[in-house]
Amino acid sequence: MVKLDQINISNDGLTKFFSPIEASILKTLWNEGEMTTSELTEKTKIPLTSVAGTLDRLVKAGYAARRMENVNGRVRYVYEPVFSEEEAANEITTKILDSLVDAFGPLALANFSKYSDKK
Amino acid sequence: MNLLSELNCYGTCFTLSAPFIALLVVISIALLSASLMLRRPKQKLITFVSSQAVVFLSVALTFYLMDCSYMLTLYLYLGYAITSTVLIFGVLRYYDRIMVRRLDAKPMGSIMKWAQEFVDNLVQVQAKLYYFDSAIPRAFASGKSIFVSIGLLELLNDEELKAVLAHEAWHIFNNSQTPYPKQLAFMTFSSSESEFENMADRFAAEIAGRGALTSARSKVDKVFI
Repeated sequence: MVKLDQINISNDGLTKFFSPIEASILKTLWNEGEMTTSELTEKTKIPLTSVAGTLDRLVKAGYAARRMENVNGRVRYVYEPVFSEEEAANEITTKILDSLVDAFGPLALANFSKYSDKK
Repeated sequence: MNLLSELNCYGTCFTLSAPFIALLVVISIALLSASLMLRRPKQKLITFVSSQAVVFLSVALTFYLMDCSYMLTLYLYLGYAITSTVLIFGVLRYYDRIMVRRLDAKPMGSIMKWAQEFVDNLVQVQAKLYYFDSAIPRAFASGKSIFVSIGLLELLNDEELKAVLAHEAWHIFNNSQTPYPKQLAFMTFSSSESEFENMADRFAAEIAGRGALTSARSKVDKVFI
């Protein structure tokens, strides 16, 4: 979920932290920059009924921002990512490391140094 | 005075049970406000009925615990019935103002002037048109206002939007023609809902054309009610 309160370790890639639709929207926004709703549904190949609610949630959670455009009497949303992919990765990593240290204290820290030695 | 002596009686008759009855009254008020806030008709109905049941219970309890005249209890219940009824109808009538604040809705005139003008010319009742920030295509009528989401404006072309607006405007006109008891019955026992929906659709088809209505329905099925 968007709020990072649930992590599914067994899932692939971004879907460990986001729902599949959220992940696919975020990836598209990171690749393309600004996009309208119809461009997003085309690129992600997810129907509008599923995308619309997710977009509301991503905006509310602060991962995406949107503005309303009024062109020739037609109204439309233009979306953009709030964080870059790198910033999002930083935020997620920090949150998870924090929670590991919070749960295991020095043990977690010992494992971090073992891990970075291995790499 | 009769009333004063009855009040005195309250003081002497139920010093012991007074907190209990007060608790029941508080519970019933909480249930009543819950029924006003809940959106699903079934939950609305359940909380509303249980609120009434709790009040009835407290009245019955008062009745049995008192040794004096029963008139004051009757007055109290009457007072409750009048206040709660006024409250319900008041909220029904001004619910659109609550929705404007809750959705942070803005007048449609500022982005699509023709849409507000279209609604102005539809029915005798003045309906104000608002848009609100959501990508989910939705439209609904409340009080004397019509609300549409930006998601709906993105999705529909002008003809389809006209069909949706005519549908909602019919609801507002119908609400203004329907007596309050019927509205309340509709709110709690929403059995005639589909009948109203069909009538609203017929009006919309008349105004904007059957084709526009059908294509609006196919794009956003079940999101405008």
